[in-house]
Amino acid sequence: MAVEKRHFVCVVCPIGCEIDVVHDGSKIISMEGNKCEKSLEFVSQELIEPMRILTTTVRIEGARWPVIPVRTDKAVPKRLFPRIMKQLRSVELQAPVDILDVVVTDVLHTGANIIATRSMPRS
Amino acid sequence: MMEVDVAVIGSGPAGLTAAIHAHNSGARKVLLLEREEELGGILKQCIHNGFGLEQFKQDYTGPEYAERLIKESEQAGVQCFLNTLVTDLSSDRVIAALSPEHGALEIKARSIVLAMGCRERTRPSIGIPGTRPAGIFTAGVAQRFVNMDGYLPGKKVVILGSGDIGLIMARRLTLEGAKVIGVYEIMNYPGGLKRNVVQCLNDFDIPLYLSHTVTEIKGKERVEGVVVSKVDGDLHPVPGSEQSIECDTLLLSVGLIPENELSKKAGIELNTATRGPVTTETMETSVPGIFTCGNVSTVFDLVDYVAQTGAAAGAFAARYASGQVSGSRQSMDVVAGENVRLLFPQRYSFQDDLVLFVRAAEPVEKPVTIEVTPPGSRINRLYARPNEMLRVKVPKEKLAEVKQPIRVSIREK
Repeated sequence: MAVEKRHFVCVVCPIGCEIDVVHDGSKIISMEGNKCEKSLEFVSQELIEPMRILTTTVRIEGARWPVIPVRTDKAVPKRLFPRIMKQLRSVELQAPVDILDVVVTDVLHTGANIIATRSMPRS
Repeated sequence: MMEVDVAVIGSGPAGLTAAIHAHNSGARKVLLLEREEELGGILKQCIHNGFGLEQFKQDYTGPEYAERLIKESEQAGVQCFLNTLVTDLSSDRVIAALSPEHGALEIKARSIVLAMGCRERTRPSIGIPGTRPAGIFTAGVAQRFVNMDGYLPGKKVVILGSGDIGLIMARRLTLEGAKVIGVYEIMNYPGGLKRNVVQCLNDFDIPLYLSHTVTEIKGKERVEGVVVSKVDGDLHPVPGSEQSIECDTLLLSVGLIPENELSKKAGIELNTATRGPVTTETMETSVPGIFTCGNVSTVFDLVDYVAQTGAAAGAFAARYASGQVSGSRQSMDVVAGENVRLLFPQRYSFQDDLVLFVRAAEPVEKPVTIEVTPPGSRINRLYARPNEMLRVKVPKEKLAEVKQPIRVSIREK
């Protein structure tokens, strides 16, 4: 891939360094604007595959609330968010649910589970 | 009349932490009063992660953070009254409250911790012209609809204001399939944390328009569109810059106001900048034995800061309840100097280190010095941004000889 320039805002810490990166698609050729070395890992990962924790809700039956909050138990590729959301639309849990209960195992073969982020008793 | 050592009003992160620390500091009877049916306050609807990074070194979601505190409070034996609305508070520390289970309550507390949190500013508080259709929500109300009640409040959304809740909701609504057309911010800098701008807007290609505001709302039954305009340096709309946008929903993320109706009833002195009680470093208000913490004191950016004030309020409230406080106590004003919009606490009573939370008036994107004089402490930071509170600590020993008001300034280095 040809050499390209890209702008990043590092989110490793609250400073939020504005970083200009010259890269060839997967490798960093040069970067400037970062105040520390932690940005290097962040930017490298962003170039290969931006990874994020997904937090959302799924339906639940038999509880005080119609939905229960869930998240991935580790970061997953950001580009898969729409597909994971679509899959979770068909999930309906039965109360009671305990915090950290696994809702979906190995979602879309990412190696990440979807887990409940609160407990919800039967009402 | 019921009697307790420490009564805590509100069970969000501030109130829960205060109740736990009051108990851990020796208060025997700690009573937590919550008007909703569950503990946890606003954390219950903040399903995103990023909570407790500093306090627990964990990246919790709001509900996980709440559940951890709730379990700790249960283990500590904190008593909770749910569905209990406090209706009155007196300066001699008598609380009047109503609850379906307990009826009309009168509670005499040896000390009280205020942890009522804050409310969102609404359309009337910023005065947007136009019609009054359905489809205008504050960001936090929309957050509750989506994350707890399971409704999507609209499909084509404009967000006015770039406070953190607005940014978080831009991402949330996008994930749920709504189209977020853009976030419009009247100031020339974002209202929320930089990382939220990146992770909630940039990540999802949602545009942020700085120096823009909504100047008209259109629609009869339901919102049909809004007009946005550029604003000039005095924040006045620029004629000719109007742009019509079709949408069915307008979210407002235009600031939070500490909820101090009860504080006023108790005759507690309020600070005009924070709109919360005038507070010492022990979190005590102007009324002896009544302490304050969290967003009822001043609007904080991070739950870690909220919890820190809760821990101090709980500990000092327990100490007050046990009678370990001298009768007459001197204190010194802490005042805002150069480039300081507000600070917390506003008084120093020579009992503990002074942990200051300072909000800059104007952004400075280069190294700054926070000067605390007397005693002449200078603390360096890489920048000062109005949307990111600065926290600095001046040790007690340095302040022992202070004989005049303590002035806090932010200067370029």
